[in-house]
Amino acid sequence: MKASRFILTVLLSTSLSSVAMAADVVKIAITGPFSGGSAPMGLSMRDGAKLAISQINQNGGINVGGTKMKIELIERDDEGKNDRGALVAQEISAMGDISAVIGTVNTGIAVMGDKYYVEKGIVKIITPAAGSASMTQWSKAGTKDLPIFRFAAHDGIQAQMVVEQATRLGLKKVAILHDATNYGVSGRDDLIEQIKKQGGKLKVVAIEKFAIGDKDMTGQLIKAKVSGAQAILIWGIGPELAAVASGKEKLGFKVPMIGGWTLSMSNFIDTAGTAGNGALMPQTFIEDESIQRARPFIQAYHKAYGVAKIPSPVSAAQGYDATMLLAEAIHEAGSTKPAQIKASLENLKATVKGAIADWKKPWSKWDPSNVETHEAFRRTNTVMGKVKNGRVVLANPSEKVLLEGKKTK
Amino acid sequence: MNADFLALAQMAVGGGLMGMAYALMAYGFQLTYTAGKSVNFGQGELVMLGAFIGLSLTGIGLPYWAAVPGAMVAGAALGWFVERAAVRLALQQRNEGWILLTIIVGLFGVSAAENIWGRDDKPFPVPWPEGALEFFGISVTWPELVIAAGALGMMALVELAKRYTMLGIAVQAVSADPDSAELCGIRSKSAISLSWAVSGAAAAFAGTIIAPVTTVGPTMAAALTLKAFSVAVVAGLDSGFGLVLAGIALGSAENLSGFLLGSGWREAPGLILLILALALRPQGIFGKKIIRKV
Repeated sequence: MKASRFILTVLLSTSLSSVAMAADVVKIAITGPFSGGSAPMGLSMRDGAKLAISQINQNGGINVGGTKMKIELIERDDEGKNDRGALVAQEISAMGDISAVIGTVNTGIAVMGDKYYVEKGIVKIITPAAGSASMTQWSKAGTKDLPIFRFAAHDGIQAQMVVEQATRLGLKKVAILHDATNYGVSGRDDLIEQIKKQGGKLKVVAIEKFAIGDKDMTGQLIKAKVSGAQAILIWGIGPELAAVASGKEKLGFKVPMIGGWTLSMSNFIDTAGTAGNGALMPQTFIEDESIQRARPFIQAYHKAYGVAKIPSPVSAAQGYDATMLLAEAIHEAGSTKPAQIKASLENLKATVKGAIADWKKPWSKWDPSNVETHEAFRRTNTVMGKVKNGRVVLANPSEKVLLEGKKTK
Repeated sequence: MNADFLALAQMAVGGGLMGMAYALMAYGFQLTYTAGKSVNFGQGELVMLGAFIGLSLTGIGLPYWAAVPGAMVAGAALGWFVERAAVRLALQQRNEGWILLTIIVGLFGVSAAENIWGRDDKPFPVPWPEGALEFFGISVTWPELVIAAGALGMMALVELAKRYTMLGIAVQAVSADPDSAELCGIRSKSAISLSWAVSGAAAAFAGTIIAPVTTVGPTMAAALTLKAFSVAVVAGLDSGFGLVLAGIALGSAENLSGFLLGSGWREAPGLILLILALALRPQGIFGKKIIRKV
């Protein structure tokens, strides 16, 4: 009897206190693959965002209409699987008190799951998923009012840079390799479109695909080699990219690999070993402490998580900057209501100093005929990176200026 | 034309070398089947666990040479455990429960691996030289050669032990007729246990030689069990030589169909061969037809 009364009291008091708590916290959800093949990106994004949150909370939280509110974090692992990601989106959108969502690494998950956020009007900042489809699905549907924003160099920009790089190297014939996911297929289409757009100087001599989990890429590579390709333009994720690199080494097929930013994933770089050296990919951030703007973030990350190397530096920096931008939007909105946060994200007044750049009005009012309105990155925010002995360095040292002093837009 | 032929040869050779790994796994099926008329449908999971244990042993600083036997000892223990936990009781009750039980133990192994080592694929470091060797324009890597040599070596070793050691002869006696063997003073239960332990050790060994090519992950086993089972059924469950041929054939066929028809068709030949073998020659191409005397 006594025990049950005690339990009742505890339950009552905790539920009351959680009501009291709910009034002065902002609830933000982070979703992404924290396990599986794309985990390095998901974990780094999450940890970068958590670093921003802990810095904000240490300063007392976000000033929302005069009261300081701390950020409360909800984390969900979507395992990089489309169906699981859709379930996570359903769950979060049903919670009712979530102000905003940050995350998603896999384009397929954005395609499957984001409709639940749009239905409820919940703000989401997509980072670091880069596939074009996650934003173009809304312009194709003609959605009038979109709470989904992207904070990543989308594949359109990346494909443009990959084709530019191949042309700069003086190549004539290339092979396109891609995985069979939404990400890989839309990457292939972006590449083909970009080659056309840039005057068709490159000839695509082979297009080959592979599945997630494939370990032996000899077949695809032989076809590329026989067709006389001088480079492999590739769209896939870490484990399969590594299999391509080691297959290339096995066949003595010494041509450059140029592809999406996934070539900077630790599970490509570490698994491929020396076979991965020289791979080229677009980057929004380089883990190089000699870049002054990046140094404080890199050092804080290393210290907070006890590592000497960020598994996916781009994801971590984007997670950090996206969180800072979101916090500023909540402050400017003076409300934790998604509708107000959306409006202020579309019209940010203050310049937010991030690890990647000084962000000045990165997004504008959504226009279904122009996805760029909800895209934060432009070609000029992005540089070419290169794998060198287990790390990503600048491919063209002249681009360091961009990372140092870059302003957005 | 020549380049096309070379490409096909490259695919066939690469597949054939990998096929030796299927043969070694199929050999594990054969060992327990001849001794106790049951097989471990979680054999692929033992391969995976063997690879992970080998990886952990190299992780704590053991050289490859010591990590492989270490993984084999663990594999033998796991094989023995599967027999005791999942198979013996079901066989004593003369029912087919062991089929489901071995699958369940395998699934349990996957969950354990996910919790202990995580869900990500990890590279398996080896002391072999990097790069490839070339024979008549066909590239072969060291890890691939090690798979072929290791699989053949392991099978030869066990076959010799079966023929020339007392323990091996005892196991053979039990395979031939457990009741008569018991009358001669051989404990058939122990002989069956031993065959499961050896089968487990072979699986773990297979894991440590496959992993450098495929990387190590909890899901590496899923496809392997089915392929090895196809090899075992196609070759027949009592022909060691047949296993090697069937393994090479399946590996090459897989690679060639993936190459010619597109990578989505890679798994087709194995399944077609399995269906054909079951329909036309259930005892296997190299198997002996068992005539039951009534």
